Amino acid sequence: MSVLHRHRSLQLLLLLTPGVGYLLFFFGTPLLSALVGSFQLEDGTFTLNWYQCIFTRASTLRGLSTSIYYGTMPVLLSLTLSVPLSLLLRRSFLGRKLFSGLYKLPLAVPGIIVGLMVIVVFERGGFFDRLLAPIGFTLPKLVRDDWGIGVILAGAWKQVPFMTLIITSAFAAIPEDIRHAARSLGASRLKTFLFVDIPLAMPGITAAILLTFIGSMSSFAIPDIVGPPTARPLSVLMVQEFKQGRFEQVYAMGMVLSLFAIIVLLAYYSLTSRIGHDSRKGEQS
Amino acid sequence: MMSELEIRNLTKHYGETRVLHPVSLSVERGEFVTILGPSGCGKSTLLRILMGISEASGGEIHLAGKRLDLAPPEARDIAMVFQSYALFPHMSVAKNLGFGLKMKNVPKDERAKRIAHVVDICNLHGLLDRMPRQLSGGQQQRVALARAVVMQPSLLLFDEPLSNLDAKLRDSLRHDLVALHRRIGTTSLYVTHDQAEAMAMSDRIVVMNAGRIVEIGTPLELYRSPRHVFTAQFLGQTNLLTVEASGTGGRLPWGQVITLDRPATGTAQVSLRPENIAIIADENGVATVSSVAFLGATLFYTMEIGTLSLKVSQAGGVDPLSVGTRVSFDLAGPVHLLDHLPMAEAA
Repeated sequence: MSVLHRHRSLQLLLLLTPGVGYLLFFFGTPLLSALVGSFQLEDGTFTLNWYQCIFTRASTLRGLSTSIYYGTMPVLLSLTLSVPLSLLLRRSFLGRKLFSGLYKLPLAVPGIIVGLMVIVVFERGGFFDRLLAPIGFTLPKLVRDDWGIGVILAGAWKQVPFMTLIITSAFAAIPEDIRHAARSLGASRLKTFLFVDIPLAMPGITAAILLTFIGSMSSFAIPDIVGPPTARPLSVLMVQEFKQGRFEQVYAMGMVLSLFAIIVLLAYYSLTSRIGHDSRKGEQS
Repeated sequence: MMSELEIRNLTKHYGETRVLHPVSLSVERGEFVTILGPSGCGKSTLLRILMGISEASGGEIHLAGKRLDLAPPEARDIAMVFQSYALFPHMSVAKNLGFGLKMKNVPKDERAKRIAHVVDICNLHGLLDRMPRQLSGGQQQRVALARAVVMQPSLLLFDEPLSNLDAKLRDSLRHDLVALHRRIGTTSLYVTHDQAEAMAMSDRIVVMNAGRIVEIGTPLELYRSPRHVFTAQFLGQTNLLTVEASGTGGRLPWGQVITLDRPATGTAQVSLRPENIAIIADENGVATVSSVAFLGATLFYTMEIGTLSLKVSQAGGVDPLSVGTRVSFDLAGPVHLLDHLPMAEAA
């Protein structure tokens, strides 16, 4: 017992064990075993073979770039929709309450349902196609098209509510007086938005971008169902490898995917901490 | 000749609720006018309409000869000092001060000159590189003031700018504001619910209540000879009494005969300021002291005369009378007669 009394850090460690230990065990152990697995041959000897495969095989290299593409494009599309939507929700209009309830619906729809929905509605010979056929229109190829337009649309459809939710609250946190001050100082509506609203809402906007980016980069159901067979993201390739029992390859791919997510997060933290550092500089002068 | 600021028959209603009954007001160039009223009297609505962030339901506003109420906020030659300061939290003090000038495309060297000038008159030396959250409340308010003044607007608006500060700071900033106004001479409209602030700073005070202008006048006029009961009560302390008047003579409820400052007949209302009543201990007096409060510079009494109670104040230099002392009293000069008007007809 006296050891415990003397070592405060030991005490703290013991007290934290239930919380941190839980996280370490259930989150860290699988990650660690995947990490170890990705460096092992079936007989347990060390190898970089699985990583070599990822960065040399054409299909996995394509998978990596596709993952990044599917991570980025829906986010960009959602962003261009979510920002105006957030601004709209800030104003009062007839039916606003109903609208702000309705727009959140996609949040509750699982990715696989979204994928199937897109197929039923947008597939050639699908619902819209048959609707448009009598008036002489045909739908462009949106499902399993080479550019993955269907994947991007479906991803954006699912992300817009989440992004809008975060960005709306980021805008709502800006006091009205600050906007009014900008207006009275000669800034037009647009300039007020660019120089006051956007910079002040930036922490919320970047958080929304990161969270949706990581989510859509690793999503499986939508690219698997709606995406083109020629370009499959790592998440889909992982499942294929998994089905063939090549666990070590799956581990390695998972590690690469996680590494990307971590790099993005680190970039975010260094960006935000630099902003914080700049404002601290003023304090010393 | 048109005044610098002309507000004509301005109204505002939300559906059936009227927040501003027709309000008309003119402010001369260089004047410091305070709009004084309790919360909900419509003074903030008036300010928002002047700024352009709220639209009037009717009426016109002219500033420096130009129609104002149709222009968007950024095209009005008005700068505002907010109660919440409303500094841009992501910009340094220097950038806050330069923001408006940049928006109005003022050339860079002119910008630097004007900023240097306001830094000087608002005493912001050494604060230019700070962020707003690194400043104290008083400093933030001075930056907000400088940010408005640097625009050299035709009209400066103040929305209770001192109400978030502690009493001592409020006092010193009040002096600074008056001195600043004397120096720059910009036409100013100051909104407050604090009558002491209004009295100390204004050339004229506009008293508002329930969406109407009750009365307009200099602090002296409004304090010494208010026309309306509301003004008499809102500015300082007073005793409201009914008198039976005939000519300039009047009889108070307890029979005492007084001189009125204007002739009247029948039942009328007078306002008797506590400091205009002089009391002395007198065993045969009609009144009894029922409470005493010593406030340092002044002594504050309540006296009972029959069922009435009267507020009396006295310079604090003398020893206070104790509760229960019988007193008699004199009234200094003629008593002020109020207009016999119900509130609704005031405007």
